[in-house]
Amino acid sequence: MSLIHFQVLSAALFSIGVYGVLARRSAVMVLLALELMLNAVNVNLIAFAAYGEQVQATGQVIAIFVITVAAAEVGLAMAIILRLFRDRASVDVDEVDLMKW
Amino acid sequence: MLEDYFRQYGLIAIFTAIAVILPGSLLVVSWLLSFLRIRPSKPNDVKRSPYECGMELIGDRWPQFNFRYYMFAILFVVFDVETIFIYPWAVQFKQLGFFAFAEMLVFILILVIGWAYAWNHKALEWR
Amino acid sequence: MTLHDLYLLSPELSLASLGMVVIILDMVLRRKGVLAAVSVVGLLAPLAFSISLWGDLSGEPDGQMVGIFNTLVVDKFSLFFKFLVMGIVALVVMSSVEYVSRLRQFQGEYYGLMLFSASGMMLLAATTDLISTYVALELTTLPLVALAAFLRDSRSTEAGIKFLLLSAMSSAVLLYGMTLTYGFTGTTQLVEIFERLGASLDATVPFGSHALFLGVIMIVAGFGFKIAAVPFQMWVPDVYEGAPTPITAYLSVASKAAGFAIILRVFYIGFGEISLDWAALFAVLSAVSMTVGNLVAIAQKNIKRMLAYSTIAHAGFLMVGVASIAARVPVGETTLGPSGVLFYLVAYAVTNLAAFFAIIAISNRTGSDMISSFAGMGRRAPFLAIILAFAIVSLLGIPPTAGFMGKLYMFSAAMKSDLAWLVVVGVVNSAISAYYYLKVIRVMYMVDPEGEEKIHVAYAPQAALYITALGILALGIFPGPLMTVAEKAVAVLFR
Repeated sequence: MSLIHFQVLSAALFSIGVYGVLARRSAVMVLLALELMLNAVNVNLIAFAAYGEQVQATGQVIAIFVITVAAAEVGLAMAIILRLFRDRASVDVDEVDLMKW
Repeated sequence: MLEDYFRQYGLIAIFTAIAVILPGSLLVVSWLLSFLRIRPSKPNDVKRSPYECGMELIGDRWPQFNFRYYMFAILFVVFDVETIFIYPWAVQFKQLGFFAFAEMLVFILILVIGWAYAWNHKALEWR
Repeated sequence: MTLHDLYLLSPELSLASLGMVVIILDMVLRRKGVLAAVSVVGLLAPLAFSISLWGDLSGEPDGQMVGIFNTLVVDKFSLFFKFLVMGIVALVVMSSVEYVSRLRQFQGEYYGLMLFSASGMMLLAATTDLISTYVALELTTLPLVALAAFLRDSRSTEAGIKFLLLSAMSSAVLLYGMTLTYGFTGTTQLVEIFERLGASLDATVPFGSHALFLGVIMIVAGFGFKIAAVPFQMWVPDVYEGAPTPITAYLSVASKAAGFAIILRVFYIGFGEISLDWAALFAVLSAVSMTVGNLVAIAQKNIKRMLAYSTIAHAGFLMVGVASIAARVPVGETTLGPSGVLFYLVAYAVTNLAAFFAIIAISNRTGSDMISSFAGMGRRAPFLAIILAFAIVSLLGIPPTAGFMGKLYMFSAAMKSDLAWLVVVGVVNSAISAYYYLKVIRVMYMVDPEGEEKIHVAYAPQAALYITALGILALGIFPGPLMTVAEKAVAVLFR
């Protein structure tokens, strides 16, 4: 195991996340894909903190902040998705198209 | 040292192998015995259900949850994740000293305000 | 962390506490009219702390005070943005007084979230560390998302979900870029990044290293989203149209100002070694933003959408200043690009706020955001129409207005750093923008009104209108003092 393995893992997770955000239709699934992107960032951070030139806690501290902010984001997103669902009985992001251009 | 570390995974691998082989071989044996007519095959509705005992199942495999659950889920996620900051502080409690203690009190006070807010707006009630 | 750190953070802390006080008061009080007054008067606390910090700066040899493990810096640059953000918040709160009366509940949250977001913006201008940049950015954005979805109708909800999903994605991209930078340099502090980059760059690769190449591009994408630059602009028109109009006004000026503050700090301090590389990137983004924003704005029928595309174009004009980097400029005039950005941000803030305040007052009565519904406003609401027309003239960049002086500074900075092609693009774009800007004035004065009923404005929004209109005029005639302050503020970026 070395830094490069974690790098590849993180890049793969991030790419899957980007694909999910772009391809998924349900807003909840898009949110899951976003979480995947943030977790890719966390993997990156922890790996850099552990395998960097000098071992330090900075990366782990950032990871904690990222997790917390992600939770806040999910809370807000779920609240808005709830409104969306009450509004039009669907959470399909393709149907969110009242406004265009 | 790193090799010792990976040796631990070897133990896990052995456990995994046993866990797969044992039930797997039982199933295979049972399947083989059915050819010898030792295992009877008399299906009925109770046997076909996913859980033979316990609650009867209602609805489909992918039911839509009542969206009131989401209200609690939102609150839970937010408050649950905030504790992530309390753990590192608790581990280093003595070294960090009084100032960090005061800061943590302020942090918890802010969470309490959030909780009081949710309560005040009846977000904790099942409506 | 010490008490001195708390003092350095006091403007943000007092602003966030003010937000909490407003929300608690909303739970307790019956009369909601007090909340706006509390929000505006309460701003005096962060204002007093900021003034006190500005006074203390003169005693510091290098013009800055650093605290909280070197993540927070108080210098004239950050204080400049604190004053700007506080001014914007005060004006937007004043202009919302009539608007929020249509919300039966949650008025406290409306003001509270606005104040939380403002504290995030102030923090954003004052961080020197990538972690706190990210946290401040989210503190800025998340309340704005909630505010965009505030109206509980389908357009507002749609604005909220689009804003949230796209902003979450952009901040994930930004964060990935930051982790690459962290991995490459081993630090998250901007000053240390600068020092370590100097030693480890490879001159044959763009941006000095492949990791940094990817990292910087991802960071530009993340920040580009916040300042509404093309090609990261797709959320802007929808969010601007769906959000409550005062929030649109707030979003268009305050979050843009904070975005440019952090861009200037991160790129001028952290990535100063590779400035030629990112400056080229910003120059291209600037040209594209101006052109796309202006061309699409021509087709708009909704005035909020039109101003959304206009804000994209103005992000392009602002990036001209970011791209006018020191490396190309003769000695003695190094600060013109960034200080031009600061001046332009203030000018754009007063101009755009004036335009939006007039629009809020008019559409409160007509109930429509369509440009056609502004017909005959020259007769129905002479006061509002003249201010809207004046703001539009300033957006267009005709003297004697703030917008003209802003563009003048920006283009002269670009000329001095050999970006003549960008100036040509900018001037052509200003000409294009005349078409859609003047259309609004034509509708207001040349088309017959739908009704004859006069439009009256409450005192607080009226005061906000006067202040912004005077600001446009004052900056257009006497730009000198603000320019001097801006030059002092950006001095910390060049060391």
